[in-house]
Amino acid sequence: MTASPHFLNRPVSRRAVLGGLGALGVTGLLAGCAPSGGRTDITFFMSKTEVLEHFTELISEFNSSQSNVRVILDSSSNIAATFVRGNPPDIACFTYNLEMARFMERGALSDLSDVSIASQIRPEVQELVDQYATYPGRTSVIPWSVTAAAVIYNQDIFEEQGLEVPRTWTEFTEVCEALVAAGITPIYGTYRDPWTIAQGHFDYTVGGSFDTAEFFEKMKEQGPQVGIDSSVSFQKDFFEPMERMVQLNEWSNQNAASRGYGEGNFAMGAGEAAMYMQGPWALTEIEKTAPDARLGNFPLPMTDDPDDLRVRVNLDLALWIPEESQKKDAAREFLEFLTKPEVQDTYNQQFLAFGTRQDAPPQEDPRVAELQSFYDEGRFYQGPSKAIPLTIPAEGYIQAMMTGSSIEGTLRTMDNDWRRLAVRS
Amino acid sequence: MASVAPAPSTARPAPAGERKGIPGRSGKFNRVDPVFYAFLLPALVLFTIAITVPAITGIVYSFTNSIGFGESEFIGFLNYAVLFSDPAVLSSYGFTLGFSVVTVVLVNLIAFFLALGLTSRIRFRNALRSTFVIPMVVSGIIIAYVFQYLFSNSLPQLGQAISNPVLSQSILANADLAWIGVVLVTAWQAVPSALLIYIAGLLSIPGDVYEAAQIDGASGRQRLWSITLPLVAGYIVINVIVGFKNFINSYDIIVGLTNGGPGTATRSVAMTIFTGFTGGDYAYQMANAAIFFLIAIAIAVLQLRVTRGRAAIR
Repeated sequence: MTASPHFLNRPVSRRAVLGGLGALGVTGLLAGCAPSGGRTDITFFMSKTEVLEHFTELISEFNSSQSNVRVILDSSSNIAATFVRGNPPDIACFTYNLEMARFMERGALSDLSDVSIASQIRPEVQELVDQYATYPGRTSVIPWSVTAAAVIYNQDIFEEQGLEVPRTWTEFTEVCEALVAAGITPIYGTYRDPWTIAQGHFDYTVGGSFDTAEFFEKMKEQGPQVGIDSSVSFQKDFFEPMERMVQLNEWSNQNAASRGYGEGNFAMGAGEAAMYMQGPWALTEIEKTAPDARLGNFPLPMTDDPDDLRVRVNLDLALWIPEESQKKDAAREFLEFLTKPEVQDTYNQQFLAFGTRQDAPPQEDPRVAELQSFYDEGRFYQGPSKAIPLTIPAEGYIQAMMTGSSIEGTLRTMDNDWRRLAVRS
Repeated sequence: MASVAPAPSTARPAPAGERKGIPGRSGKFNRVDPVFYAFLLPALVLFTIAITVPAITGIVYSFTNSIGFGESEFIGFLNYAVLFSDPAVLSSYGFTLGFSVVTVVLVNLIAFFLALGLTSRIRFRNALRSTFVIPMVVSGIIIAYVFQYLFSNSLPQLGQAISNPVLSQSILANADLAWIGVVLVTAWQAVPSALLIYIAGLLSIPGDVYEAAQIDGASGRQRLWSITLPLVAGYIVINVIVGFKNFINSYDIIVGLTNGGPGTATRSVAMTIFTGFTGGDYAYQMANAAIFFLIAIAIAVLQLRVTRGRAAIR
């Protein structure tokens, strides 16, 4: 090829034109980003799909109620990635769990101890935050909505069979046997989706058996020493609950291993089984196909003492403002709006959750009202499956135990994984 | 993870260029027009920014205890040391390699014989060719969800109908059989692209070679074994290489089908690496990615050697 200067000249002029166009485009973009009319734009992260519509309404209500701050909803970012990039949202209303605790632990979340709601949060609920991690001298996270999960049961089936809500493990086994004798599937299992077993069968059997917060506290202390000889270990402390978890198989649908969450919700709506190990999120799903289903909730009894009954709770939504946000004041204005009793209580009532303030009104929906007393009395625990770092594929292990793997061997693997993780972190 | 994929693909074009050669390559220094370098520049810049820099950054992170954010400290080779004794990581390598080998063999067998059929004089040849290519244009995750439904619902019903106890449960829920489901679905999607390459290969064999063979009295099997196979050998190598490279990076189909389960029976290396992002185990999985990168490079080099040899024969 003979490339002449002639040939090279042409693109230069074209480049100039393109460059000019590019520059114009950039200026246009910048103009579009500038705050309009002196308002501060803040990014609000909220990704719970079921309630996005509700939050969109709240945001527009807030935006039109004042002229200083404009809230922009972000419902799709990967929250960990935003922190890694150094560009987190200005405020978030997000599930609080072990993965979020990593950010809090390293001081990425700003202190909110002086916002008005901070002093009104129930101490046992604030304590749920601290179970994962703390940052000295800070209230980094404001619990906003707590969901309580237990055994969902079909009240019609229970009434027809003349069954009472079981309060001890013995009563529970009797209920199951009675249902089997009547030709009714006692429990609907959806083992294809491992999270359903982890948050249901696993968390209920372990959490109902002993104080899991204390267990994980000790597991952290033991760290690299965890094993068959350590004072606590999965092998020792989880063995009995796991045996009972696998025993639940006997009373579950035959095809549980190939059923998923969606199919389970549908089956419960159709009355195909009497009990379902799911949280309130499933109730709103069941409602879609069976709006009139009469469902209730009871905590799975694991001992023979009714005083040991506990429900599984999680901090379904909690508020935090990253340290890196440049617009903390604006973000706090929105936080004050979200924590107004009428805003917070309306949400919790509507979405079958529980409030976090000392004066929060009780949940009135009959489907979850049975759990109110447990919540009020602080008889709850956070799901142990959520206290295991995601690096350990616990959900997979739980699914394996449920579908026939050795309990002993699997728990030993979990101990080994825990130890290995402790060695390098 | 991004650092893994491109290694073979960037390496592949090299032999072709060298083989066909810029005229006078063997000469001392042919003056190359600078405009060629200009052509190279955009690709080089993009590759550096999007691949090389992140890859090096990732490798640096693999020597720390970073969670991807905040302060971290250098911990030397600790991540690597732990990695080699981590059964979860080792089993993901075992699964990925085994699965890739089986899938490569299956895909190439099916695609080769399908191509033989589709290049012979059969009715509806063009319509059939288009039909067989359809799986290629459907997104992996959609294929996975459709097959997941078939495996969890339709197949068990069939199993119950013929009262076969193994088939009555979803094979995806069986830790010993789930990998078969993954292989079948991956192969279903991968056959078309291999098929196209084989069809091209078979069509490139001149007809007179077969005519001559026929005159000499060669049987159909002899023609297949002594003419077709040697003449498409280069295409087989390409299909094996490209297929293997794709299969060891498997992600979307497995996520949709089994999500690594039951237990961790079908968790691929790529999926394991990704847990580092979601689980805050960033540095550790970066070490895993670095190892995986080295393996990918090793495979690429091996494959380059093989293709170069193959090219020399032709």
